[in-house]
Order: sequence, then structure tokens, then C-alpha cells
Amino acid sequence: MDFLIHHMLRNSAATYPEKEAVVHGSRRLKYREVADRCASIASGLRSASMQRGDRVGIYLDPSVEQVLSIFSVSQGGGVYVPINTVLVPEQVAHIARDCGMKALITTPDKLATLAPALHDISSLQFFVLTDPPDGNVQSKPCHALDDWLRLPVAEQWSDWGISKDLAAILYTSGSTGKPKGVMLSHANVMAGSTIVSTYLGISDRERILAVLPFSFDAGMNQLMTAFEHGATIVLIKFVFAKEIINALLGEHITALAGVPTVWSLLANGGIVKHKFPELRYITNTGGAMPQAVLNVLRESLPTTKIFLMYGLTEAFRSTYLPPEELDRRPTSMGKAIPDTEILVLNEHGGRCEPGEVGELVHRGPTVSMGYWGNREATDRVLKPNPLLPPELGDCEKVCYSGDLVRMDDDGFLYYVGRRDTMIKSSGYRISPTEVEEVLFQTGKIRQAAVIGIPDEVLGQTIKAFIVAKDGAPLDCDAIQEFCVEKMPRYMVPKNFEILQELPKTSSGKVDYPALRRREGL
Amino acid sequence: MPENTDAIVRIRQFILQRFPLAKRRKVTDQDNLLESGVVDSLGVLELVTFMQQEFSVTVNDEDLTPENFQTIECMAQFVARLALQSGARE
Repeated sequence: MDFLIHHMLRNSAATYPEKEAVVHGSRRLKYREVADRCASIASGLRSASMQRGDRVGIYLDPSVEQVLSIFSVSQGGGVYVPINTVLVPEQVAHIARDCGMKALITTPDKLATLAPALHDISSLQFFVLTDPPDGNVQSKPCHALDDWLRLPVAEQWSDWGISKDLAAILYTSGSTGKPKGVMLSHANVMAGSTIVSTYLGISDRERILAVLPFSFDAGMNQLMTAFEHGATIVLIKFVFAKEIINALLGEHITALAGVPTVWSLLANGGIVKHKFPELRYITNTGGAMPQAVLNVLRESLPTTKIFLMYGLTEAFRSTYLPPEELDRRPTSMGKAIPDTEILVLNEHGGRCEPGEVGELVHRGPTVSMGYWGNREATDRVLKPNPLLPPELGDCEKVCYSGDLVRMDDDGFLYYVGRRDTMIKSSGYRISPTEVEEVLFQTGKIRQAAVIGIPDEVLGQTIKAFIVAKDGAPLDCDAIQEFCVEKMPRYMVPKNFEILQELPKTSSGKVDYPALRRREGL
Repeated sequence: MPENTDAIVRIRQFILQRFPLAKRRKVTDQDNLLESGVVDSLGVLELVTFMQQEFSVTVNDEDLTPENFQTIECMAQFVARLALQSGARE
């Protein structure tokens, strides 16, 4: 019976041992090789004192080692925490501290950059390096992944966990504060994989191109669907649309998932000049695809099915629009994925009528376990299902998305906006307060508020309203330069406006709607 | 190429200001910024916007290649070529 993430790998390795599992550049690993290596690394992790439920960070660019790490940590009984490599050292340190990380898998180069930010994290006991250490002495033991690969594969492997156990923590932002760790059980991840591969019709024949990071739920799900079905996953790190196009053609890709920014890059980057008869489907998530981009894709990919999807990390994947509905409802986010119910609820917890705007509430097997170490935030998002008969008690939690939607008469959903001030840019969720905190760190600003401004390519860009301390003149270029040092690119405000005072509500809080109205939003 | 010197200075200044890794690694005009991860896909978009505004040139999608963006020097040469083309059209 398959009930843990690495069982999917075990199963595919038994059924398709000689089939290509992972491709990265010139490196190609078969399922048998991946399974053997993961078993060895899992033994190594256990011998290095990883216990059941220990959190292991993975800070790697797209690579074979990144895939091996995910399945090895699972097999060893740990919890993997994939970290986007665009994050700056302070943000990585926040994640390590927040989840009480025991070990970090990374490269010697990356560790050299991270080490100063990580030195005082007491939970962190060892590092695992993908290449031989570069001579920099670390304060904690460093193991080499290569050494572990030489460990014999145990004939009898005993798993420590069950499907209810925590498998992964994905860090994501909300409307306030620092990123929070969404906890996913093995059952959550496997349900997400099975559900999505059902409606996408994924089989062992698929060759999936992964351009989204595995720290992002939809990116990770691509990897899971591939390994569940014995398909091939091709990893690339791209800068130019041409690199994606070359991979699509050269690797005979049949499936590609992207966020709107990826599609904009492709639509403006020459996708029209090529034909992709092998590309069976593409999926969009992480924000609405601009209609102009959608039209270009539909024209350039006449034989490719286009699935518009919606999901939030806290509930993994939620809705999809079947390709045959694209003509009729191009602006819809679709309806519930299989084995899932999407409720549109009003403020009293009752169902909205068709056309009435309410909050999207997700019910199903991919509802996460909440935020790591943050019961208060969890209780705001995961609540008892208000529509269950009282006799059932609070046996089931549903996920309140914070997204406002309306449903049409046929049950299709349409995105209306956010309940809160959260910003979304190039697929990333951005908390305004996290950006504002960095602005305050300049020491020159008395008040700051940031909002999202609609943008064709990025979904939203960030505009910052700032008020100087003591009325001193502010140099916006210098402030932007400061931000660039402290945050990844997607979080840095693009525009600044200096105000004498920020608009406030009657309770003295920043009046974000007033700032949006200023911008005509 | 003296006409490139000015472009190199302006592009270098922009990159040092907007790309934190460039400053930290003290990149030279010949360093490959793409392979080292200093400039990513969103970074290229920012560079394109900057080039179009700063040098009044038009960047087309076929121009978006590693050859044109891998070093500060390449970018300056690329901008000079574009300026020449638009000059020829006028």
C-alpha cells in the first residue's frame, strides 16, 4: 500500500526501473537509480541523527540533488522544507529558526553565503553538501551527499511514519508579518498529486517541464504527479523565454505548468514562431492569466489543452477550468477539483446565492494541517465546517482562503479580489507588512504603506507610500537600493510616493482602501 | 569603442544599484551575470525597461538572448547596435 510520499517513487521504480525519471541538462537518472540513491541518502540522514519528524531544509537550485533530497528526507522519516533560492540569507534564517530546522541540504557556495545568518540557530545540527566542501570551516558538521551515495541500500527498509504525519512545510506569506510555514501531511501531498493527475490525465508517457520552484505548491505537485505515474520530469532554470522554448522542443515536453509571468514571457518571447505538437497540456496558476496572453497562447498552441487553475498553499489545489469551457468562460477560475467541495460563504457562514460575492472556502483532502507553530494564525484560516450538521461536531476543518469570489448559475467561480491587503506578484504572495518593515529599517521613514498596482506581466507590482521622519528630504533611489539589498526582487517596491501623512481609518490604522483609491483602483 | 564607454558606465551603475549580488560580488564589466545568477528572468525585464528608457531604443523579443545580456560589456554593445539601427531607420 502506498501511503507515504516516497512510496510513489518505490512503486514507479518497481514498475518502470529503466525509465527516465529526472533530467537536468546532460544528467539523466532512471527510476531505479533515483530509488537506490534516495534509499542511500535516507540511510545517511538517519545515521547523521535525523529523527522522525525532524525538519530538513533544502536550499538548492533546480537539480537532480534537489529531487533526491525531497524523496530521501521523506524516506528517512523527516519533514522536508524546500526553500526558494531567491530568498536572501535573513529570510532563510527566519525559516530555519521558525521551523526548528535540524539540517540543511545545500551547496558549499550557498552555505558560505548563508552561514553568517545561520550561526546562532541552535536547532541546526548539521549540513549536507552536494559538492565537496570548499575548505571553509563550518561550525557544524558537514556531510557530503556523495559519501552517502556509497552507502549500501538496505534490503529491508522500515518506515517510521503514517500518512497522517507531517511530510513537508512550505513557507508562504499572508497579509501580515513574516512568512508562515504551511504544514502538509503525506496524505495531503499524495491526495493533491492523485487529484490533479486525474483531471489532467497524467500517465507514464508524460514528460513534464518544471519551471516553477518546488517551494511553491504547484511546482512541488508537478514533481509528485510525475513520480506517482512513472513520468519524466525535466528541470530547468531559465532566464529567457527561449530557454523554455528550447527545452519544450528538445526534450519533447508534453506538460508545462506556469504562473502568469511565465506565460507573458513566452507570449512576448517568440512562442508564436514555433510549433509544439507534442505539448499535450499547459496549466496556469498563481494568478489570473491576462486575456491578451491567453489569446496568444491559444493561437500558438492549437493542439494543446489549456487548464486555468487556482489554489492556495493552505489547501494545495482548489479549482480548475476544463479546457472545453475556455470559450464560454475565459475569465472563470473554474470549479472544484475532484473529491473537493468549494463553498462560497457570506460573513455569517451561510452559502451565497449565485452572483453574490463571498469568501472561497475549500473542503477536501488537501486542506493542510495549518501553520507550523502558529495556532492563532491557523485558527483564522482553518475553521470547523459551518455547514455540517451539529451532530458531527467540529470533526472537520475547512480552509478559508481570504479570496472573494462569486459563482455563476452553473457553479463556475470568478475571482473578485482579496479580503485583506496581501499582494501577489509573479506568482509570489507578498505581505505588505514584511515590505514595510524593511522600509522602516532605513531609519529615515516615519510611516510606510505598500499596495499592489495591476501589471500586465507581473500581476501586480508594489507601490510604496512613505512619510519622512522629521520632514527630512527622502531619496527614493537610495531607499529602493536599500530594499534591493534586503529582499528578493519580487518584493522590492517599483514606485515610491512621498506623502506628508498616510490616510488613517477612524481607529488610527493605515487606510489601505484610501491609498488604492488614490491610484484609481 | 569610445561611444560604448558612456553606456557601460550607465548600465554598470544601474546594475550595481538594482542587483544586490552584483554589488556584493564586485562584478566586472566582463563577468557573466546570467550564469552566476546575478540577473534572473525578472531582472532581464527590468534591464529591458531601463535600456528602452535610458537609451531610447526598442528591444524586440528576438533580442532577448544570453549573448546580449550576459555581461555589462555585452549589454553596452547591444544598446549601441540598437541605437545604430534606429538611427539608420530615421
